[in-house]
Amino acid sequence: MLLFLNQLINGLHVGAIYALIALGYTMVYGIVRLINFAHGDILMVGAYTAVVLITMLHLPVLLVIILVLLVCVLFGVLIERVAYKPLRNSPRISSLITAIGVSMLLQNIALLVFTPTPKPYPISLSLPALQIGTLSIGSITVLTILVSAALMIVLQLFVSTTRAGKAMRAVSEDFDAAQLMGINVNNTISLTFAIGCALAGIGSLLYGLAYPSVSPTLGALPGLKAFIAAVLGGIGIIPGAMLGGLIMGLAESLTKAYISSQLSDAVVYGILIVVLLFKPSGLLGRGTREKV
Amino acid sequence: MNKKVKSYTLNIAALVLIYATLSLLISTGAINSYISGILITIGIAIIMAVSLNLTTGLLGQLALGHAGFMSIGAYTAALITKSMSDTSFALSLPIGLLAGGLMAALFGFIIGMPALRLKGDYLAIITLGFGEIIRVVIENLSFTGGPGGLSRITRMSRAFSSDTKVSGAIQFSIVFWVMVVIITSIYTLGRSRHGRAIISIRENEVAAEATGIPTTYYKLFAFTVAAFFAGIAGGLYAHQIGMLSAKTFGFNKSIEYLVMVVLGGMGSITGSIISTSVLVALPEFLRGFSEWRLVIYSTLLILMMLFRPSGLMGTKEFSLVRVWEDTGRFIKKTLGIKKRQAKMPYTPHYDVWEDSVVLETRNLGIRFGGLVAAEGINLHLNINEIVGLIGPNGAGKTTVFNMLTGVYAPTDGEVVLLGKTINGMSTHDITKNGIARTFQNIRLFKSMTVLENIKVAFHTRMQYSPVSGIVRASSYQTEEMGIDIRARELLRVFDMEDVANAQADSLPYGKQRKLEICRALACNPKVLLLDEPAAGMNPIETAELMDTIKIIRTQFSVAILLIEHDMKLVMGICERIYVLNYGRVIAQGTPAQIGRNPEVIAAYLGSADNNDNGGAQHAEG
Repeated sequence: MLLFLNQLINGLHVGAIYALIALGYTMVYGIVRLINFAHGDILMVGAYTAVVLITMLHLPVLLVIILVLLVCVLFGVLIERVAYKPLRNSPRISSLITAIGVSMLLQNIALLVFTPTPKPYPISLSLPALQIGTLSIGSITVLTILVSAALMIVLQLFVSTTRAGKAMRAVSEDFDAAQLMGINVNNTISLTFAIGCALAGIGSLLYGLAYPSVSPTLGALPGLKAFIAAVLGGIGIIPGAMLGGLIMGLAESLTKAYISSQLSDAVVYGILIVVLLFKPSGLLGRGTREKV
Repeated sequence: MNKKVKSYTLNIAALVLIYATLSLLISTGAINSYISGILITIGIAIIMAVSLNLTTGLLGQLALGHAGFMSIGAYTAALITKSMSDTSFALSLPIGLLAGGLMAALFGFIIGMPALRLKGDYLAIITLGFGEIIRVVIENLSFTGGPGGLSRITRMSRAFSSDTKVSGAIQFSIVFWVMVVIITSIYTLGRSRHGRAIISIRENEVAAEATGIPTTYYKLFAFTVAAFFAGIAGGLYAHQIGMLSAKTFGFNKSIEYLVMVVLGGMGSITGSIISTSVLVALPEFLRGFSEWRLVIYSTLLILMMLFRPSGLMGTKEFSLVRVWEDTGRFIKKTLGIKKRQAKMPYTPHYDVWEDSVVLETRNLGIRFGGLVAAEGINLHLNINEIVGLIGPNGAGKTTVFNMLTGVYAPTDGEVVLLGKTINGMSTHDITKNGIARTFQNIRLFKSMTVLENIKVAFHTRMQYSPVSGIVRASSYQTEEMGIDIRARELLRVFDMEDVANAQADSLPYGKQRKLEICRALACNPKVLLLDEPAAGMNPIETAELMDTIKIIRTQFSVAILLIEHDMKLVMGICERIYVLNYGRVIAQGTPAQIGRNPEVIAAYLGSADNNDNGGAQHAEG
């Protein structure tokens, strides 16, 4: 029972990180219908930013956290403007390939600058673990779950209540109509990328705390998993990303504990396939039918 | 015929030339084993890219698990040649390759069956999922060598001769000719009736189904064939490298092949060939820049997409014969030689039906959840009759069409076509049985030519198999020649012969509508359903359309049911009219009767002072 609870909490921990990254995927997809394959690599950018700022420049941690977020946002917005915006009216697959290109580019630049040798993540957290009876929950886990939960609530409120959030929803429904209503589509899309990448920045901090080793391909696997989480929950839907992330995290940690650590990927993909077969637009997705 | 001979000769000459040069260079050692290794890698990658192009380019379905099929082929072939180690490699290799292809095709079929119900990004993700599962499972099976993989697989570059140059040349020959056969097969398949069916699904799935194409079947077919070729590529790969590790075939590998296809131009086989050669060779050329090469590679990829979003070749093919002919045409033009246009007489091929009632609905109705969209609909159409279906927007007119054509399954009542109940049938079967339709918002196969649009509709009346199409057997030749003539005849009736080779979406609006009607007629229907044929037309075009509809009735002996808001057209050509409101038939009769019916006037025409030839031409906006 204790093992089970521990695995459950581990799953929530990983799942919360997946959910944070998945939010970025889902928001970008929701608004420009692009699978932003470079999103996972923003995580890597954030991690290396922390490495540079702390181990080389010795800046204080709090300032570093802010700068990491800024750098991630800057990268995200810049990538959108340079690589995706010119392709907005092209076949969607072209922007998909461009996103893959951007992802490769980021990884290879990191490889060139930082070499493939992993670097230790420079921020750590040493608080006592939370004790509930015999169950002990690590402080990083507690922090991750709380931060993620808080961010998701804030994001949901932002999108559903603020003016900018309304603009986002409008743009995601129909570019042209939104534009005719006086919404600045370009700025709204930039804002979406900015928020998504800020979440990835926070994700990189939490990921770094949990797995303190930074390499150029750091973002690839969590990126892929988060993306799958987003699809699982229904891509384009914010609560779906959270749900998907948590399911992925739980499935992964429970399979590792009870079945086999090698098969955890297979189980995760298996869940994805089963869900899509029965609910082709994801768990929370609405089925859309082409009107004849 | 002449053109074909020319094309074959040119292409074969070019192939033999390339082959002879390269194999000579390899066997003399002028190309070292490193370079010839790259050539082999290119050849295998081309098979992968061209086969993926079948699913992604021609069928238009994004698939991200192609490397998974490659791994199945690779492992199957390797396990077979390993277990047949006491047989000659010259025998075990082809068996292994073929078995690898078949095994991959089997998996393609099994995976495709559920997966192809999804569309777009969801299909991409589910294929990604299947691809990864294949990888994980191979990594965890014992007979595939587990995570360590398979090693000591016979290598083609060593197996055939103790002289590595000779063996290398044989390896090159095998990969080269297998590649040529596969490319040619996909190319000819793409130009057969089966290829047209596949492409029509990419262009417009709803219209393809309504034109009689069994879309589910063809999706699965293309997916399975692509998997088969990927399996063969896998088998070649296994015997090139000599060892296998499932990790090689992950998501990144699938993405690599997808990049090749998109960069070359989706749907362009020659584009795939060019881009694959460049993309495989480029990193090797950039080896001098060692660390920078992948940075340069990815930058080029981004720039390429930014400046040529639809790829190198778009959907076009590079063709030697075209270059040849263009040169020839240029010479003829300058010399003033003109080609004589052959005229063929029009002969109708359409059966005449004796029964007087062609189509009948009995108490037809449909509910979406709690919403009753249509109920108690009783219509009938007599042979050679033009009947109007009118009603305010949202009255359920298109819903009736959708029920008649099987797009929606009616929840009540039945549809009887020539004495046969057809509700519950799939759309393409209904089309085959004799109901063809057009759509409110035109649905053409936009990037196909006018002629090809028509030819798709002849699909159901052609017989030849995919294999006959690939090898261009005599059944292919005669049937294709036959429908070419018939399709042109049909276009002539509609006065559209001059635009036969124009791309469908380049036509002006009125002609696009006409083409859609023409395509529907090519399905050889007994009943033609026209959904707002005059929508968006100016008065002159509408008048022309009225003439066209009359021509159709006399020439093709079909019953026509048409939805239209243009009262002038409805009152002018319909013999009978049904009026629909809130999903029910509220009136029926001759145009004169309908025009006087107070209920109709109240529900539909609005005010009492509209008379029977329609004071309001567009009664509803």
